[in-house]
Amino acid sequence: MDHYQKRERSSFKQLGHLARLGTYFNHYAWVLVAAIFGLLLTRILDAIVPLMMKTAIDSLADDAIEPNYTWPAIGILVIVVFRFIIFVFSRRIMRRVSIGVAYDLRKRMFSHIQYQGPTFFNRFSTGDLMSRTINDINMVRMVVSFGWVDMILFVFTISAGLYFMFDLSSELARWVIIPLPVVAVVGFIMARMMFPYYRDQQEAMAEVTNFTQENLNGIRTIKAMSQEEKEVDRFHAVSTNYVKKVYRASRFNAWIALIMPVLSSAAPAVLFLYGGALALRGEITIGTYTAFAAYMWMVIWPIRHIGMTLSMFTGAAAGTQRIFEVLDTEPEVKDGDKAAQPENLRGDLTIKGLSFWHPGAARPTIENVDIEVKAGQTVAILGRVGAGKSTILRAVVRLVNTPRDTVYIDGHDVCDIPLTDLRKLATLVPQDPFLFSTTLRENLTYDLPGRDEAQLWDAAEAAGVAGSIREFPDGMETMVGERGQTLSGGQKQRSTLARGMVRQSPLLLLDDCFSAVDTETEERILSGLARLRSNKTTVLISHRVSTARHADRIYIVDNGHISESGTHDELMELGGYYSDLAAIQSDQDTDHERKTRLLHDLEDEGREVVA
Amino acid sequence: MSGQANQSPRDYSAFDVELTHQALNIRLFGRLLKWMHPYRITLGVSIALVLLGATTSVLLPVVTGRVLIDTVLLPSAASDDLPDYGLVDLTHWLADAWSVDLLVAAGVIYIVMHIGHAFLMFLHQLTLVSSALKALRDLRMDLFASLQNKPIAFYDHVAVGRVMTRVSNDVENLFALLTGFGMLMGEFVPFFLALFLMLHISIELTMVVAITLPVAAVGTYAFRMVMSRIFRLIRDSVSSLNQYMQEDLSGIDVVQLSGREALNIDQYGERNKENRHQEFRAINYEVLYENFNNSLASMATAGIVWYGGGSVVQESISLGALVLFTHLINLMVQPVVMLGQQFNVLFRSMASGERIFQAIDWEESIHEPKEPAQLPERLAGEVEFRHVDFGYYADDPILKDVSFRIEPGEKLAIVGPTGSGKSTIIRLLMRFYDFRDDMIFLDGVDVNQINSHELHRRVGVVLQDFHIFSGTVRDNITLGNPDITDERAEWAARVVNAHRFIQQLPAGYDAELGERGKSLSQGQRQLLAFARVLAADPEILVLDEATASIDTATELVIQDALHKLTEGRTSIMIAHRLQTIRECDRILVLHHGVVHEHGTHEELLAKKGIYYTLHELQFQDAEIAKELSGETTLSDVDRVVAITETGWDEADEESLHADPAEPEQPSPLGGEKID
Repeated sequence: MDHYQKRERSSFKQLGHLARLGTYFNHYAWVLVAAIFGLLLTRILDAIVPLMMKTAIDSLADDAIEPNYTWPAIGILVIVVFRFIIFVFSRRIMRRVSIGVAYDLRKRMFSHIQYQGPTFFNRFSTGDLMSRTINDINMVRMVVSFGWVDMILFVFTISAGLYFMFDLSSELARWVIIPLPVVAVVGFIMARMMFPYYRDQQEAMAEVTNFTQENLNGIRTIKAMSQEEKEVDRFHAVSTNYVKKVYRASRFNAWIALIMPVLSSAAPAVLFLYGGALALRGEITIGTYTAFAAYMWMVIWPIRHIGMTLSMFTGAAAGTQRIFEVLDTEPEVKDGDKAAQPENLRGDLTIKGLSFWHPGAARPTIENVDIEVKAGQTVAILGRVGAGKSTILRAVVRLVNTPRDTVYIDGHDVCDIPLTDLRKLATLVPQDPFLFSTTLRENLTYDLPGRDEAQLWDAAEAAGVAGSIREFPDGMETMVGERGQTLSGGQKQRSTLARGMVRQSPLLLLDDCFSAVDTETEERILSGLARLRSNKTTVLISHRVSTARHADRIYIVDNGHISESGTHDELMELGGYYSDLAAIQSDQDTDHERKTRLLHDLEDEGREVVA
Repeated sequence: MSGQANQSPRDYSAFDVELTHQALNIRLFGRLLKWMHPYRITLGVSIALVLLGATTSVLLPVVTGRVLIDTVLLPSAASDDLPDYGLVDLTHWLADAWSVDLLVAAGVIYIVMHIGHAFLMFLHQLTLVSSALKALRDLRMDLFASLQNKPIAFYDHVAVGRVMTRVSNDVENLFALLTGFGMLMGEFVPFFLALFLMLHISIELTMVVAITLPVAAVGTYAFRMVMSRIFRLIRDSVSSLNQYMQEDLSGIDVVQLSGREALNIDQYGERNKENRHQEFRAINYEVLYENFNNSLASMATAGIVWYGGGSVVQESISLGALVLFTHLINLMVQPVVMLGQQFNVLFRSMASGERIFQAIDWEESIHEPKEPAQLPERLAGEVEFRHVDFGYYADDPILKDVSFRIEPGEKLAIVGPTGSGKSTIIRLLMRFYDFRDDMIFLDGVDVNQINSHELHRRVGVVLQDFHIFSGTVRDNITLGNPDITDERAEWAARVVNAHRFIQQLPAGYDAELGERGKSLSQGQRQLLAFARVLAADPEILVLDEATASIDTATELVIQDALHKLTEGRTSIMIAHRLQTIRECDRILVLHHGVVHEHGTHEELLAKKGIYYTLHELQFQDAEIAKELSGETTLSDVDRVVAITETGWDEADEESLHADPAEPEQPSPLGGEKID
């Protein structure tokens, strides 16, 4: 929405942004010049045709002149052939260049995006980036392939047309051109006004599509609640709105189709009456009249369309600006100068006084966090939603811009470890179980395709997903995602877990990876984890006491601070958040008052989250 | 309804086939007429307008050629018998009537026609679009309504995407067809008028022009055919490009954590290259065609100058006629080009029409009783399944001889692995499918004798993938039922702990929920679904517990809501959390469509069966913790985990045999009644 609004406001001021595309044209410079030259040539050839016609007609009209029509006819034929050949060559070059520029831009956009950090992705949503790479690059491409060449040609064609008109009869030309500037201005204004109509139409169409999709996806609920008729009524409103929007857009189009010819008809009217009178008085010949008419149309057509082209230009200028907005953003997390690959790491993790502000946030997400994990240990982090647990793990692998001197692996500051090495060293399995729409094998070996088969199955086994995979007809080759097998939330989560475990990194960070699996499966995974990761370091975030209790040490994060830490027994003894949580989850607590109090606390917190 | 078995399996594959028929199917247009019928007057006016408008566009060059040149500027005898559609006479008459020069009269005619043409086409456009849009809206509504009335079985087999595009894209294609048809009409009138005029002036000269027409037609058609293939490849390459990027962006964390950036840039680059390759291929043809028709017309012009020049010299045609010919060439070539273009639209929209009518024509519905049973004002709430056998396919039974009874006000939990038939029990109770009479009873009444809308009013259901409608919070609770007052909606929300978060929304109960309630959290959506079913106050409540994970806080709130919701109401719950199960009076363990164990929580624990093992596991974390740290064996854990994981295939037999405390076999238990 925001994106569209910006596009609407695009104006001449933004035309300067187009200059930035210059670098993309540099290596096409000479062919471009040749192509433009070729296209100009076709216009010159176009302009000669009416002169040929004039020669023929004048010779036929005036008995005093020897009829001369064979040579003009041959001339026209030759011109047509030459024009066709030249046109094909130059046009092909133009369009290949436009495709090439779009290709280069797309490539650079994609590569650039790959290395960006969270600030970037907070600023540009996926939809926004997609729109920039699709729509904006297309806009630029249109301008390259048609726009500015058209513009040059327009100027040239119009001047050539005017030249010939004035040459034939300056008296007539002077009067004929009077309405043309008005046509150009009105054309431009109307072309600019068109945009909101198209946008509305597209939005209304999207509404129809979304409504239908939503309805069909929820058809079971709808039927169970006998909502069919109401849904039909609701759809009626949606589809009527769409019809209205299409009608409005079509009506506006029809207005353009009405106003442009009516306005420009002043020129042919002047020609007809005044030119006719001149011809009648013998001041111009009939051949001159017809040639003049041809040149007049040569001028009128581009003038009618100049508005469209100009508005395309401003649109592309705004598009260019949006493309470079992305390209100008430098990745926030980069390898430092001192970055060097550390060797023989055991997997000690030390977090010392780590605080982190999300850019623009009023309060730090986490403040002064100290966590100490010895190689081979398992540590659990618990806490309320939004307490900052994930940020701690993300800081370890520098998915956020980790401050210097806060996170160390075996004594090395993570900021001094090259990103690729750091992320090999420490594997984070994020909370959101994301799988790519490809085979399970490719998903599980995403970091290193062609991984050893036994290793792969071992990880799948440990993550508790091997059984499910074996049950799929295609096993590891099963396609997942939209066009393949639908996995349950638990299966997805276990697959992402397997993807993390297969890497066997010294440090494994699990961000709430058991939330979608039932307690029983979780137990099995934990045992698999214990088997696969003996002597390796594991840090896990969980909501369940049952998960946390086997950890060597448990940290409770509350509001960005570590509020409790210790072993399970120590924390139970302490009687804080952890023991409360344990009480709720074991359901062995019969004290109703306490339960109600907890419920109340939680609701209050929920309110905060909503606010 | 007779006691027939489950409906015979139907072939739904027709919906998966790409319909790209290349043959003309006139019947389709006949069917479209039905929807055009109500708007026939507007449509008729529109056609009349385009005919009139097109006529003026032919007459304009006649005014220049015949009136201006042949009559005003260069009167000659040679031109007298050539057709001018009465324009010469009209000019004379006007000049006399207004006592002006012939030139002025001709000029007025010229200007009026010029503007008149634009105006007529304007009105034509408006009327055509308006009638086509309305007709297609009606068609879309009928299609949508027919989709609403298809039974659940239909949606079990046909992917949503397959039907959805019929409502959106396919109807759009028909719109392109109708408007294209109008445009074509506007092109062909001038074609024939021009042809008539040309033939009248000179048959030989007309032939010179006519030679170009088949070339233009064949050239255009061939171009379109080649391009439609390449365009498809381009579309594929573009969508693969975009899809790759979309996925990469959605999983950018994973990409970066896996160190895949460089590899992905390469893979994207390959797709980018493929796209460029296809685009390059396309332009090779496009640039050839771009000037093809223009060049043809120019060649015809050369032919006319050469051949017509001779005729003028021989005085067989006038100079005005020659000029007129050069103007008419474009009127001849243009419709042929248009026709070539419309051919594509025609085929595409025919396939669309077929898809639309295929969906409308697909007849499938759930049987409704001819004389529905009259239910009392309020059901007591007794539910009975009596020897229920059911399968979606004849050879694949899902439920085998399932029997149980729930007393009014009782709560039953159904437990079992995925695929055990739990959901099917709910679906049958809701009568989503047809099945044999005398299997399922509400208060002793066979559900097959109850009208399904009535049934859905009595049995409230919260499905696992319950649907939040886009609309306000209030709408989502009342579902447009006027009997549910605002107070009642709020009361329901309060009871299920939803009131608090609703109040926090910017517009409270009037807050608009986005698509599928995306603006709400999973837990909030669940509470809203509870409020909705509570507000409707059904006698029987059916609940398929969501498996999706929620944090402990939310889970507690939901458990509390669930408790209040089911209080004093006959309830069937497909439970995944033991917490929920413990809320229930009795538990039914389902496995492979057979009732495996059932009874109260205590009874089942005493039985030391599967339920017992599950329960032990859930509540004895301490033991497991020790096991995990390697102090004791993992055998118990593994056994139960295997049960839940593999669907009990191998594991349950093993567990039942292995445990001496559990001597019972599944088969004798299966048919047992709970009462």
